Amino acid sequence: MLLPFLLALHAVVAALLPPLARVLGTRVFVVACLPPALTALWVLAHAPDVVAGQPVTSAVTWVPALDINLEFRVDALTLAMVLLVSGVGAVIFGYCARYFHTGERGLGRLSAVLVLFAGAMLGVVSTDNLFALYVFWELTSITSFLLIGHDDRKEHARRAALQSLVTTAGFGLPMLVGFILLGQIGGSFRISTLVADPPVGDPLLPVALVLVLAGAFAKSAQVPLHYWLPGAMIAPTPVSAYLHAAAMVKGGVYLVARLAPGFAEVDPWRALVLTFGMATMVVGGWRALRQDDLKLLLAYGTVSQLGFLTLLAGTGTQVAATATIGVLLAHGFFKSALFLTVGVIDHQTGTRSIAALSGIGRRMPVVAGAATLAAASMAGLPPLLGFVGKEAALEAYLPGGDPATALPSGAAAVVLVGVVLASVLTVGYSARFVWGAFSTKDTVAERRVPRPAAAFVAAPVSLAVLSLAAGVLPFAVDPVAQGYAAAFDTSGEPYHLALWHGLTPALGLSALVLVAGALLFHRRVTVARVQQALSRWPDADRGYHGVVHAIYVVALRVTRLLQSGSLPVYLGVILATLLALPGARLVMALASGDVAPPGAGGNELRFWNTPLEGVVALLIVVTAVATVREHRRFPALILVSAMGFGVAGLFVLYGAPDLALTLVLVETLTTIILVFVLRRLPATFGTRPDGWAKRLTVLLCAAAGTFIAVSLWLMTAARTDPPVSLGYTSLAREAGGDNLVNMILADFRALDTFGEVVVLATAAVAVTSLVLLRRSRVVEETDPGPDETEEERAGARTGEGERT
Amino acid sequence: MIPLTDSVPAAAIASPVITEEPPSIDYAVLSPMLVVFAAGVVAVLIEAFAPAARRHSIQLGLALASVLGAFVLTVLQVGAMPDAEAGMAPEEVAGVTTAMNSVAIDRPTLFLQGTILVLSFISLLLVAERRSGESAFAAQAATVPGSEEERSHVLAGSRHTEVYPLVLFALLGMLLFPAANDFLTMFVALEVMSLPLYLLCGLARRRRLFSQEAAVKYFLLGAFSSAFFLFGIALVYGYAGSVNFADIHEAIETGGSTLFVGGTATPLLLVGIAMIAVGLLFKVGAVPFHNWKPDVYQGAPTPITALMASGVLVAAFGAMLRVFLMAFGAAVADWRPMLWVVAILTMVLAAVVAVTQRDIKRLLAYSSVVHAGFVLTAVVAATPEGLAGALFYLAAYGFTTIGAFAVITLVRTHENGPEAADISQWAGLGRTSPLLAGALALFLLAFAGIPLTSGFIGKFAVFQAAVAAGATPLVVVGVLASAVTAFFYVRIIVLMYFAEPEGAGPSVIRAGTLTGSVIGLGVAATLLLGVYPTPVLDTLLPQPVEAALEPGMATEDGFTR
Repeated sequence: MLLPFLLALHAVVAALLPPLARVLGTRVFVVACLPPALTALWVLAHAPDVVAGQPVTSAVTWVPALDINLEFRVDALTLAMVLLVSGVGAVIFGYCARYFHTGERGLGRLSAVLVLFAGAMLGVVSTDNLFALYVFWELTSITSFLLIGHDDRKEHARRAALQSLVTTAGFGLPMLVGFILLGQIGGSFRISTLVADPPVGDPLLPVALVLVLAGAFAKSAQVPLHYWLPGAMIAPTPVSAYLHAAAMVKGGVYLVARLAPGFAEVDPWRALVLTFGMATMVVGGWRALRQDDLKLLLAYGTVSQLGFLTLLAGTGTQVAATATIGVLLAHGFFKSALFLTVGVIDHQTGTRSIAALSGIGRRMPVVAGAATLAAASMAGLPPLLGFVGKEAALEAYLPGGDPATALPSGAAAVVLVGVVLASVLTVGYSARFVWGAFSTKDTVAERRVPRPAAAFVAAPVSLAVLSLAAGVLPFAVDPVAQGYAAAFDTSGEPYHLALWHGLTPALGLSALVLVAGALLFHRRVTVARVQQALSRWPDADRGYHGVVHAIYVVALRVTRLLQSGSLPVYLGVILATLLALPGARLVMALASGDVAPPGAGGNELRFWNTPLEGVVALLIVVTAVATVREHRRFPALILVSAMGFGVAGLFVLYGAPDLALTLVLVETLTTIILVFVLRRLPATFGTRPDGWAKRLTVLLCAAAGTFIAVSLWLMTAARTDPPVSLGYTSLAREAGGDNLVNMILADFRALDTFGEVVVLATAAVAVTSLVLLRRSRVVEETDPGPDETEEERAGARTGEGERT
Repeated sequence: MIPLTDSVPAAAIASPVITEEPPSIDYAVLSPMLVVFAAGVVAVLIEAFAPAARRHSIQLGLALASVLGAFVLTVLQVGAMPDAEAGMAPEEVAGVTTAMNSVAIDRPTLFLQGTILVLSFISLLLVAERRSGESAFAAQAATVPGSEEERSHVLAGSRHTEVYPLVLFALLGMLLFPAANDFLTMFVALEVMSLPLYLLCGLARRRRLFSQEAAVKYFLLGAFSSAFFLFGIALVYGYAGSVNFADIHEAIETGGSTLFVGGTATPLLLVGIAMIAVGLLFKVGAVPFHNWKPDVYQGAPTPITALMASGVLVAAFGAMLRVFLMAFGAAVADWRPMLWVVAILTMVLAAVVAVTQRDIKRLLAYSSVVHAGFVLTAVVAATPEGLAGALFYLAAYGFTTIGAFAVITLVRTHENGPEAADISQWAGLGRTSPLLAGALALFLLAFAGIPLTSGFIGKFAVFQAAVAAGATPLVVVGVLASAVTAFFYVRIIVLMYFAEPEGAGPSVIRAGTLTGSVIGLGVAATLLLGVYPTPVLDTLLPQPVEAALEPGMATEDGFTR
């Protein structure tokens, strides 16, 4: 199958576009048309097979070790999506060639990213592997980020781009977790396998579904994550038309529709989809009613329609599934037609504000006709595709309308009311769009605008006509819908997309909706006043900024707390952890009796061997405490060395005079060296902890010391085998020596000793060379610097002299 | 004091063993390390005898040649490893131990050593880079910053070619650290690796006080952690009666020594594990032992930061994996809760703190802490898949991070100025140098784990392993932390491409051949490992034949004993 090649073609063409743009100017978009157009043709060629229930598949192995395969599967749902993504995409790309001026900045980049985006979107809807889906999904997030922020000189554009990326890619991550869970409990990462054999009953399944839905909702701009979509209207209009009518936002709907056959029955799937979908429908429609900017009006309309689509796609019944395909295609056609119309108006008049447009309908009758057709489809007027889809949608929630309905009748009734309410709003804002864009308003001065070129208008007109054609000939679309809806149980006669089902309740509701919507538009002044009077609802956009700001504030606080830059604090943290982990474990072991204090095996605890030890211990304790309390550096140093001598005294009392001697030497030497260092430092410690910091320090240090002491005590007392040194005594006698230590050093382990001597000698040589370095290598010194440096040098020289 | 009496029954006395034969050492297996060590020693001699003018080129040539040679030797050993074929016992496809079982050369070791060698080679290129006669290192580190003496050294063009032997010795430690098969060797490796690094950290040419502060902090905190590590070794020795990993593993399985009443010494083992963990977690920079990382990464000369962020991290995690999966593999239930807590803390706290960072090197330091948390999830998994995922992650992260630091060395506040530390100074880089900004953007996207970069595959591998091992909540935290980190990576990209520069914007030094190739290698590795990771993953994952043959066998985790 060709699909992987078509995907690669997108990438290749995208790479070629930037250099081509320099030569071709805006005609580069004609080249950009090629990959999506070819894809659309390819998928149409396969359409008969696909709707007959034989999906086209192919597989490319990407990372077999991690079970990531590029498996593609084109079934009815994918077919519908590809028609939107590639078919509508090709039309929009052609439109771009006329929309942009030759001098436009970054045309090469824009066209390349658009084609990349189209390729990524194609991947999203055609892959059969959860991870490949995620990969393509994030690619669409990144490319849409670049597209929305196309005009990078505008602060507003940059913010909107970042906002959309943070929202869609950010919520893509929980979705990834959901995918991992889903694959783990389902035993496969292949979507078709998972949907065909869902791991129902697994306790983790609801968690996985909630996470996946979070990602889908963010992508499809469901309340309360819808804020990014209106913000993203800063993008060039054709980009908006593509991203928000045909492609990107449909990604979330696609995912819901893709998983619904397997998981719609699992709680809380339906509750979530219905609640969020309905809220989005109503909120979007309500806000669309009061927009002045035509593009924003369409944006909120899109939010509303996306809610509608999510609701339908997630319901998971045969009728709803049929309606999903109908509304999906209808929305793709009419919304892109409307966006492109706005693009034409904006391009010719330089404004999109309802309050500034007047008489456009007379100047551009063809555009007005196309837009009216598309808006009628949006409002659900017969005989357009929008009407066919909406009929099916109403049917899905009518009591008794869907024989296989899985909804409790109460819920179905609530949803039905919601759908009707949102449809009324839709009719209202559709009418308002046509009126606002094309009517001649008495209060607004008419503009003289140039007529758009025929090629420029061709794109919106063709899309609007497509809406009409598909509505009049619903049997062209119906097989696709049936192909998708076949996945759901249907006990009775399957529902078909058609213009006329007879005098059904759904038809009555449709009429009611149209009348109420017309009324809403007729009383638009009153509606506007009501909207003004209502206090503003909590703004989701402000919510986003609030969350981002909160992360900053928390991060700042935590940073200030953790990143003090103070060495004692860092050390304190390490010590505290030491106490918390092994320390706590030791205390627990002691408390539970796992570790008995030594003294059991005839090795009783005794205070001292001679009372002299007590005296020395007292000396050590006193000097230690005094050191901590001392504020001046020099006395503190003296006290520390006194403590060292005390320890040496202990060694003497324990019969190790050689060790004691070494210690005394080391203590003396360090004291002397430190004295020289101290000469260059202030007399007292600059900063000392005070108050609770001091208490905490004392406590922490005391605890750490106690912990080390106790574990040393336990360790030395815990002995299972006699020490190996006992074996040396006889050997020492054999070798003719009395001093065991000497025998070991000079005889038994003489080679080791030799090695140590070499190391010591090397170290000594190194130290000497370091000390002499300043003499031999020193660069000619210039005049002694001012005051303090001179003093320092003097100090340094004296110190050096003493040492050498 | 130990009573020196003959009254102890002769049978009970463990008589000292008199060794007559030297231990057999398989020099071929150790050859990569020996080559690096020999080069380090020779480099010291060069320092003493070679004329000053030619010292730098000789040192650089020697260092690069030895690293390259060691890499070739490592690759040859990989080729010599027996391939797993059906019907072979797991021992046959495992590696070998040598030098009295103190060093284990098996697949994970060879992969880690190869990775470390490549990363060090790249870092050496960065170390060697000089622009207008200026390297990243101080002219004479012994002078007081800002003094006349310092200036005269700068004017005289003094340079520290000692950097090369120091890097080589540190590299020796890095190579030995993940290969060590007993705790004493591991401790020696730890110190051999760390001591030169402490020094190297203090050698920055600019902002020398920062640099020296970093060195002091790193040294003091590192010394403390090493002490705890050593203390832990003693405790574990008390439990197992051996420092050898295989013996410890066996001791844990059979219950260890009977030190305490009730015939158990488990508390000793647990306290020992915790203290060893302190030492290892400090080296990888996990919360709460991460505090040194931002300060040190910021203060150290950027090429050394690159080396620490890549090679040292790989080595430290390699050692950690060996210790926890192999030596303490049988006590997994005991240490897993602790690492759970550490991993969660690491990912969450570091991600949150990273958001507020304004200094690019500090930011990358915190990002490195977060990444350590991600790898820890694979350690928590404690499965062969987790090991493979962690190894892949480390390699992928190493290349990306070196590339990122290489970019940092090029962006300056103004002509001949210091590196542009504050990220606000990076505004508009995308317009002045689109290629450089594009490379950095790629690295940042890889850090964020965006598909088609190596970061995605790595994250995927570790998270999948963790989920398979039942650590799903950990993965959820990890994914949320990635969301937060993605935010600040993207913020830098937005800043580079979309923000108006303040004043003239950053000044970019033209990338020399060395830095240019470093960045190019980083980009290539990031893309290659992201698009086509299969060859690497296949070598890492345990061969199916092993797992199928004897699921309970010791070499299941891929380590040899």
